[in-house]
Parts: sequence; structure tokens; C-alpha cells
Amino acid sequence: MSAPTGLKPFENDPDVTLAAADERDTLIISMGPQHPSTHGVLQVMLRLDGETVLTAEPEIGYLHTGIEKQAENLMWQQAVTVVDRADYLAPLSNSLCYVLAAERLLGITDEIPARANVLRVMFAELTRIASHLVWLGTHAMDLGAQSIFMYAFEMRERILDIMEFVTGARMHQSWFRIGGLAIDVPAGFLDKIGAFVDAFPERLRDMRAILEQNIIIKDRLIGVGKMSAEEAIAWGLTGPSLRASGVNYDVRKAFPYSGYEAYEFDVPTHSGGDCYARFVVRLNEMHEAWRIVKQTAERFPGGPVVIDDRKIVPPPKTEIQHSMEALIHHFKLVSAGFNVPEGHIYQAVESPRGELGMYVTSAGGNKPWRVRWRPASFYNLQALKHLAPGNLIADVVALIGSLDPVFGEVDR
Amino acid sequence: MEIGPQQPFLTTKLDEFIAWAQKSAIWPMTMGLACCAIEMMSIVSPRYDTSRFGAEVFRSSPRQADLMIISGRVANKMIPILKQLYAQMPDPKYVISMGACASSGGVFDNYAIVPCDHFLPVDVYVPGCPPSPDALIYALMQLRREIEAGGKSKVLARNA
Amino acid sequence: MPEIPGEGVGQARPPHYERRSTAALTAQLRSVVGEHLLDASSQSDMDEVALRPGGLIAAAAALRAAGFALLLDIGVTDHHPLTPRFEVSYHFLKIVVGGSSKLDPHSPGRFRLRVFPDDADPRVPSLTGAWPNADWAEREAYDMFGIQFDGHPGLRRILMPDDWKGFPLRKDYPLRGFDRRFVPGGRLGAVPPLKES
Repeated sequence: MSAPTGLKPFENDPDVTLAAADERDTLIISMGPQHPSTHGVLQVMLRLDGETVLTAEPEIGYLHTGIEKQAENLMWQQAVTVVDRADYLAPLSNSLCYVLAAERLLGITDEIPARANVLRVMFAELTRIASHLVWLGTHAMDLGAQSIFMYAFEMRERILDIMEFVTGARMHQSWFRIGGLAIDVPAGFLDKIGAFVDAFPERLRDMRAILEQNIIIKDRLIGVGKMSAEEAIAWGLTGPSLRASGVNYDVRKAFPYSGYEAYEFDVPTHSGGDCYARFVVRLNEMHEAWRIVKQTAERFPGGPVVIDDRKIVPPPKTEIQHSMEALIHHFKLVSAGFNVPEGHIYQAVESPRGELGMYVTSAGGNKPWRVRWRPASFYNLQALKHLAPGNLIADVVALIGSLDPVFGEVDR
Repeated sequence: MEIGPQQPFLTTKLDEFIAWAQKSAIWPMTMGLACCAIEMMSIVSPRYDTSRFGAEVFRSSPRQADLMIISGRVANKMIPILKQLYAQMPDPKYVISMGACASSGGVFDNYAIVPCDHFLPVDVYVPGCPPSPDALIYALMQLRREIEAGGKSKVLARNA
Repeated sequence: MPEIPGEGVGQARPPHYERRSTAALTAQLRSVVGEHLLDASSQSDMDEVALRPGGLIAAAAALRAAGFALLLDIGVTDHHPLTPRFEVSYHFLKIVVGGSSKLDPHSPGRFRLRVFPDDADPRVPSLTGAWPNADWAEREAYDMFGIQFDGHPGLRRILMPDDWKGFPLRKDYPLRGFDRRFVPGGRLGAVPPLKES
């Protein structure tokens, strides 16, 4: 069913007679911060006229962690660990953005070895697939399709298995480091990636077959939360939410990083602008991310995974055992870190939520002076104020799911 | 239910039955705060499947839940919410503090994060950042042992 | 796909996408901002203009007219103990909003405005009139740093509780804060001082 045009549904319906609602008839409800469908700690103060939302004011801050302040008190390489924990569904996106920013300030972006860049792209895209699978599982579950949650999370477990195999951690890998990667991939890695690449398309096809033309999904999502391109830009949306309104902006194509310009992938867009468009865009994005993972697995160069600069990256452990200089480098790096030249830079990556940017300021010391997040979810979620009024209360659940906020990023 | 001091057999068996029933149906509340919430959701997924233990039914309403899993970092604004939710839960209720941030602040030693045992009584602490779903299931097992022992085992933090 | 000369995957550097079509804009902004201008420069990631708060509205309007329709972010950096202390940074993205809403992915650019308000009473005009997504970002800047935004429809805290004292991200606010909230005396006692490293 289409969204109501005014604030009153059934306005032109001859079968329904509505009494005029005055101020006393409105109800203020707090949805959240503990709620199964708010995807985290979000409180939406809804003013309702019956089931119709008159105003929706999201209240955030229930997960404010002080990550930006914490990063100011850690050394540059140490800050990768706290940076990971902001957008917790896609940890490697956060660290990729931070690490790229720091590398640009250091001026070593061109020296990052090819193998490190390929692995960065591969894992960034695996993270994108994992994040979209969580989105799909929870969003479909909110709309009633509970079995999709099981399918999506089972597929995600396979990605987390790969992450654990390589980095040792399922989430919050802290694997991307300034200067390359923490450790190289173990033997047998390409077989695991190959197995995933072979298995994923069929599962995605299964899930799409259940959902994409499903009459319930279409009824719940088509026409809900329609945003024109101008509105989407005015509200600062980026990522799938912006591309669902027809604006073809993807940071990987517009401001490429880590060698993305060498991969063949499309940027899915949709002209609908409503929840269904955002749904379809993310489904297509999973397929495109899979394509990129396949390409990275095919062109897998050899070589080191860190730059050859002992002032930034510690030497290998074997060298430390017989070289005094290597020992001193290691000691200095672990105790005092390295200094990053003074300056400021804005670096953005395409996270699963949109343009995740970091405006990093260095004062020349061994700790970041300021790491300002440009949180994609923060600006995406703000659009809820504009989208929710006029819809039914059940549509608010669909809207929150389609905007896909992660509160670690919204609140930091 | 007292039959008489010469027949304690029946009450013991009844207690055991009640303990078995309670431990086999611990229903957690949907209390997902941060990253640990994703691992908490994973215990319901097919790989880890707490349905084997009767604990897959996540109740959104605290009135219907037995277990509050504090899955994630607790920010200042969230503290009164958590206290109210805990108060709304009916007895017997249990609290699992999942993850390093909930247990002690974790990676975040700053103005914004408060460990949850500053304002809630915690039964089981689960280390990890985030703890693997296996770790959370182990915590659930510890809780089940505690319930089975009638609150007198030395397993849990409160009783040690 | 743009042509990448030589090299293999992961080695090539793209042309300077960010720096395109903003050189002439900087000159235009200099004249629009007038006496509020502090500096205009070209950084490695994008061009930027540093200005006093008085020139912000005009500069933002000029950027919008030049096609920079998306306000990416409003952030604050505290340079204490340097003066001017607060830097409110505005990042804009050039997106062409045409009739067909099509964006040429090879022509976007970014621009940065750095506004330096007063140290003692930092006030900056609010952009919420023309840019709806400035609302929350300005509230966060107020909450974390104490910057006042004149003309904001409802400037109140957004991330910290409403009755929080102090502005946490300022450099003179200690990392651990001043007290352990909600715990009289604190379970661990008073907040121990942070060891300087």
C-alpha cells in the first residue's frame, strides 16, 4: 500500500469517516532505547495521531563512548584498536579509513605494497558483505521473515571464519595497520576464499528469491520513506541510501583508494528513493562486493605486506634476534611510536553505510591530535526526522532498517 | 510444600524439578548495546544455537525475561535505562556482563563508559572483545550450573 | 574506467580527482568572504579557506551556488593551547543536482571551510536554515566543545546526558572526566590521575 499523502490516512476513502483530531488526541511514545527493532540503542520520541506519526525525534547518545577522545590518548598505531569499534558491523572499514588518513599524512601511500592493497580491498569487501548480511537478517526479521535471519547469519559465519583464520579475531580484527597489514595471510588462505566465492552466489540467489518479489516485502517497503535526490543530498545521505534515490555517488569510484580503480565493479543505483529501493540496492551491492572479492582472489600478488620503513613498521621478529638495530627500532616503536608530520587531512572510504570520513589533525607528535569522524550513520539517521512523519508506526521500523544505522558510529 | 520432616524426599525432588525447569528455559532480554550484541545475536544463529538449551527465546519486554545480558559498553545516558529495566524484571533474574566493556570498561578508560557492576549485581562476567559466541554459551552453562545447585555453588561471582 | 599507466594492481595512483575544478572557486570565495578571510590554501586532499565566523554564511552560499550541494560534515578541533583555539571545519561535496539527478562520478570535488571563532565565547552562525543536515552536527559540536551556534532551532546536548557539566572533547577536559557518575565515591574510589606518558 502506498504511503499516505497528508498526515491523515484514508483521507479520500469514502468508507472511512474520521473525526477531527486536535492536540489532545495525540500520544507521545518513546520507542526505545531498548527495543527489538531499533537496531541498537536508539530512542525515537514519536508523536502519534492514532497510528500515524506526526513527528519523530530520534534521541541518540546512548552509546557515546568517547572514541575520538580515547584515540587522542593512544599512539598512532594503537589507535587502530579503538577506531575499529565505532562501526562495529564493519570494523575493517573504520580502520581502513584511519590507516589511509595516517598514511597520507606520513606520505607513504604510494609505498604500500601491492599485496597489502589487494588484501585490504579483499577484506574491505568481505566486511561489506558481512555487514550487509547482518542488515538483511535483521531488517527482514523486523518485517517478519525470521528464517532469513538464520540464512544470513549462517553465511556471515563463513566470512567470520575467514577473518578468524587470517587475523585471529572474528570482529574487531585491528589487522590493517599504518604501513600495511599486521601479519600476512597463512597458507591455505586462497582455498578458503575460493570456497566462499563459490558458495556465496547461490545463497544470495536463494535469499533474493525469497525476498525480492515477495508480496509482503513489497507491501511493507514500496512507497515508504520516499526521498527525492534533492532531499537526499540536502539531508547529507551517502551510501546505499543516496544511491537508492538515483544519485550515483560512490567514494570508491569518485575518490579511489587502495587500488579500487583497477577492479571491475558496478555501482548499483535505483530511482525509487523508497525503502524498497534501498533494499534492492543493498542486495545488489552484495553481489558487486562478491565480484570484487573474486577479482582480488584471482590477481593475488606476492611480496611483502608492510612497507620497508623501520621507522614506522617494526622489523620481523627473526631479525630482532640477531640485529641490534632491529631491536632498537622495535623498542622505540613499541614504547614511543612514530611521529606523524604536522598537518590535517580528510580521508573518506565507502563503508557499507556510506561515506565514512575522518578528518585527522596531527600536531607532529606520536599521538593523533584530533580524529574527527564523519559518521555515515549519523547523517543517514538524521533523515528519519524528515521521513517518518506521515507514515504509520510500523513503517518507522522499516525506515530504521532501511537507513541501516549502527550506533557505535552514530554515538562514537 | 512440606509433607513432614520424616519425608524430605518429595520436597527435594520437587526442588530439583523446579531447578531443572528454570535452567532449561532461561529467556534473555533483547538488550543489545554494541558490538557484543552482534555476537549475542549469533548465539541464536544455526552455528551456535542456544535453542538446544531453551534460551533462544529473546523477550523484548523485561517483564517476561529472566536474563539480562549486558552486551556492550554502557554509556552514561544508558545507566538509568538499564537500572529501570533491571527493576522491571521479575524474580528470579540473572545478569551476565558480556564483554570487556560491560565488565570493566574494556578498551575505553574514559569519561563516557561505566562498568555495569557499578550499578547492577552481576552473576557472570564474560571476558573478550567481543567474546566469541562460544564464550557466551559457556557463561550460560555456568549460570545453569548455579541454578541447578540452588544458588549455593561456588561457580558465580556473587557467591565466591 | 580511467586508464592507469603501467604497474600492476594496487600500485597505480589515480589522477587528482579531489583537486579538480576548485582552483577558481577559491578565488571567488576570497572575494565573497572579504575581511573575514584568514587564509586560503590548497592542501593535499582538497582546497580550503580559513575564515572568521562572519563570513561563513556567504561562503557556504557561494559554495552551494558552485554546485557543492552536500554538506558532508561539521567538526571541531581544539588546538589549545594555541590561539585561535577552536577550528570548526565544514566539508562540502560537489554534487550536481540536475533535472535528471544524475551525477558524473568523475567530476565531484570536495572543499573545506575552517572557521575560527572567538576563544572565550565561541559563536558561529548556524547553517540549519539552508542545510537541514547541519542540525545534529551543530548540536554535537556544542555538546562536545561548547561552540554556540546562533540561529539553531534547538541547541541542546545530543550525546551526553542533558545535565552533564563540561565539554568533554576540549583539551582541558581530562580523559577520565571528573567523577565516576552514578557511583557515590566510585567503586574504585576517586578517579586516579592519568599518568603522563
